[in-house]
Amino acid sequence: MSMKVTEAQHAPSPAAGQATLSGTATLLRFMLRRDRIRTSAWVLGIGLLGFYFANAIQLIAETEDELRAVTAMFADPIGRMMTGPGFGMENPTHEALFSAGYVLYLYILIALFSVFTVIRHTRVEEQTGRAELIRANVVGRHATLTAALILTVVANLVAAVLIYAAGLVGDFPAEGSALVAIGGFAVGLFFAGTAAVTAQLSESSRGASGMAGAVIGLAFLIRMGGDAAEVGGNALSWFSPLAWSQQTAPYVEDRWWPLVLPVAFAAVLVWLGYALSTKRDVGASLLPTRLGRASAKPSLGTPLGLATHTLKGGLRGWGIALLLTGLMFGSFAQTMVDAADDLPAEMAQIMPGENMMLGYLAYMAVFMAVFIGAAGVSGLQQLRGEENRGRAEYAMSAPVGRTAWMGAHLTVLVLGVLLILVLVGLGMGLGAVASLEEDGGQYFSELLLAGIMQAPAVLALIGIVTSLLGWLPKLAGAVGWVFVGFGGVMSTFGQLLELPEAVLNLNIFGHLAEYPVEDIDWTPVGVLIAIGAVGIAIGLVGFNRREVNRV
Amino acid sequence: MNENSPVIYAENLVKEFGPVRALDDLNLNIAPGEVHGYLGPNGAGKSTTMRVLLGLLRPDAGRIQLFGRDPWRDAVTLHERLAYVPGDVELWPNLTGGEVIDMFLRLRGSYNKARRDELIERFDLDPRKKTRTYSKGNRQKVALISALAADVDLLLLDEPTAGLDPLMEAVFQEVIHEAKGQGRSVLLSSHILAQVEALSDRISIIRAGHIVESGTLSELRHMTRTTIEVETTHSAESLANLSFVHDFRTESVTSAGDRTVFEVDGDHVQEVMNTLTPLGIRSIVAHPPTLEQLLMRHYGDDLSARGVSNGTTKKVS
Repeated sequence: MSMKVTEAQHAPSPAAGQATLSGTATLLRFMLRRDRIRTSAWVLGIGLLGFYFANAIQLIAETEDELRAVTAMFADPIGRMMTGPGFGMENPTHEALFSAGYVLYLYILIALFSVFTVIRHTRVEEQTGRAELIRANVVGRHATLTAALILTVVANLVAAVLIYAAGLVGDFPAEGSALVAIGGFAVGLFFAGTAAVTAQLSESSRGASGMAGAVIGLAFLIRMGGDAAEVGGNALSWFSPLAWSQQTAPYVEDRWWPLVLPVAFAAVLVWLGYALSTKRDVGASLLPTRLGRASAKPSLGTPLGLATHTLKGGLRGWGIALLLTGLMFGSFAQTMVDAADDLPAEMAQIMPGENMMLGYLAYMAVFMAVFIGAAGVSGLQQLRGEENRGRAEYAMSAPVGRTAWMGAHLTVLVLGVLLILVLVGLGMGLGAVASLEEDGGQYFSELLLAGIMQAPAVLALIGIVTSLLGWLPKLAGAVGWVFVGFGGVMSTFGQLLELPEAVLNLNIFGHLAEYPVEDIDWTPVGVLIAIGAVGIAIGLVGFNRREVNRV
Repeated sequence: MNENSPVIYAENLVKEFGPVRALDDLNLNIAPGEVHGYLGPNGAGKSTTMRVLLGLLRPDAGRIQLFGRDPWRDAVTLHERLAYVPGDVELWPNLTGGEVIDMFLRLRGSYNKARRDELIERFDLDPRKKTRTYSKGNRQKVALISALAADVDLLLLDEPTAGLDPLMEAVFQEVIHEAKGQGRSVLLSSHILAQVEALSDRISIIRAGHIVESGTLSELRHMTRTTIEVETTHSAESLANLSFVHDFRTESVTSAGDRTVFEVDGDHVQEVMNTLTPLGIRSIVAHPPTLEQLLMRHYGDDLSARGVSNGTTKKVS
């Protein structure tokens, strides 16, 4: 890594500007072509989620009383911790609830999209060496970063227009809707700028995304503290880029000036990104690359060690995210007790049982099980990826049989998924115990068990996908995700949709008794575990018989 | 299995991928201690052969044996005796090179730590870097070191030096010579001809899934032509009409003598020399046939029959 200090001192000189941007338009077209599906999906997804939020609120809470009851969930400190400063919750309207309760999650998606897009077109390209190929042409030094930023900004603009339209379709006031939309756009600008800087710092795309992701996480944590402390947030909230846009208080105070902050910081970050990029060579980084171990730990030299190494990253990510979600859901327990009396009828229908709080947590346990199922499917897809990338073939060129390889990976995956189930149960239990004002302790073991009791459904899903991995590997991932998606939709809306029994039965996650509000029914437990075990056995037999990585 | 029974034995091996016949009645025979060059252009079936030998693919017809055993059924037992270097190596991105090497050596059983460190030194690899930051050449070094440091009888190397620089290729040749000295067998696939020429005891040329030639380098040379560049005081025109002389051309005619270039069939060199001697040879250069020419004669025909330019397979020598 060589630093060219002299060059950096007169880096963005106006005369050089023309040449350093050569090829930007061509690169932008190239990026649009490469991203035509991925970026469209993100932007449309964010827009659709906006439409869903804006309209679902009006369906869930039709009357003013129902609205008040739902709002209670977002108005207390724990609710604010998860959603934002909570402007206008004392006299709730649908639009204020939209802005206070849901918009933060649109902003987080926009932030993630901006980071991924900028890193994918800058550092990933350099890491793979494709950037060299591009830069060998008549392409200026700043062209790639500029084109990537333009792409991100334009995509965010489209997302903002969709969010604005969502507000209008929901019959919300125009100015507030514009603030929500432009607030999202500003969040996108800030994090695109952040990624433009981190892309210069780390030699690996994972490191660059990780640093930018850490900024998002930190921003969330800072505003958690600030927004939970008081309604409207305290001074701490003003240190979080995610909170700035929410401080515009759309539909309540409609103030525009807080948006100056993200826009100004974005400009500084983008300038910094350009300045740093001139201080390094193509492919190099400003932070030194950390060196790893020169020799392996003894545990790596076995099929199980290899499988653990391959799967642990993904499992750890799912585990942390789901543990935190479990904690969050658990911590709503007191709110549910308070709100139990005046909850709208639709909510009561989704949540069975007379004891509203336990009903809510039993329902959340099913909901979490769907996500844990997703962790299982994504782990199995990773195995398919190992095969497609030729690493499975290379590993099996050592004296590791097909059954040993697959068996080791399945062992790690199943154990990992079971551990996540326990962690989610622990999270819900601890969250509930911490938030409940009376007799919290007695629910802990029930909630822990509620999490663990979902294991048979997850196991059955893993069994079904594994059997396909053994015999029809190309179908395995798709079928797995269909089961997960169907489970998610059915768990959320199944009762409301009034579908025939046969269709409901296809939902793997719908068969177990909803402990703790219902008693444990051992029949579905046995059947689901049997499906899982038989599926895994069939999959192992198939994998042992079929060819590895057949082209 | 006795001392001289082949390490690899394939007879009329067939492997089909849908309509594509990747291996077409392939015959291959490799003796213990032999370095066998496996030559062919991209897509000829070299990697498919390797993967059948590893028991990852199941042949549709024919017989295949490694150390007298079926590679599909006895994969694990056989893999204790062999090491494989894939052509396009993908490694686990968040492991370091050293970790990958150790993992493979441990999976294969006993290994010599000193030998591992020595190879890392000789191949000039930094084992502490994550493999995602390695170039193709460095990833190949990782696979090579983990194969060469293992205590195995057979090395299956699929285009092992495609990403190595000339310096490292020299190290590779040294190491393969050492492996041969230790009595190991090597199947070395390549389309880099010079490398196979330098290392191999025997060579098989594969084209469209079929072995078209097999033998020692000198056996194969008999089937091709020697190029002769000669300066003679008298004109060498009389050679032009001989049936075993090809591509005859006179490059320059000066008062000092004529400069002539032509090719002669391998088994008629003596006759040409007899004819040349009375013409007064001022200087003579004879090129043995290169493997480029060997390949060109096999693929050249085939490609021109299909109307494809010869230039696509010709390598600059």
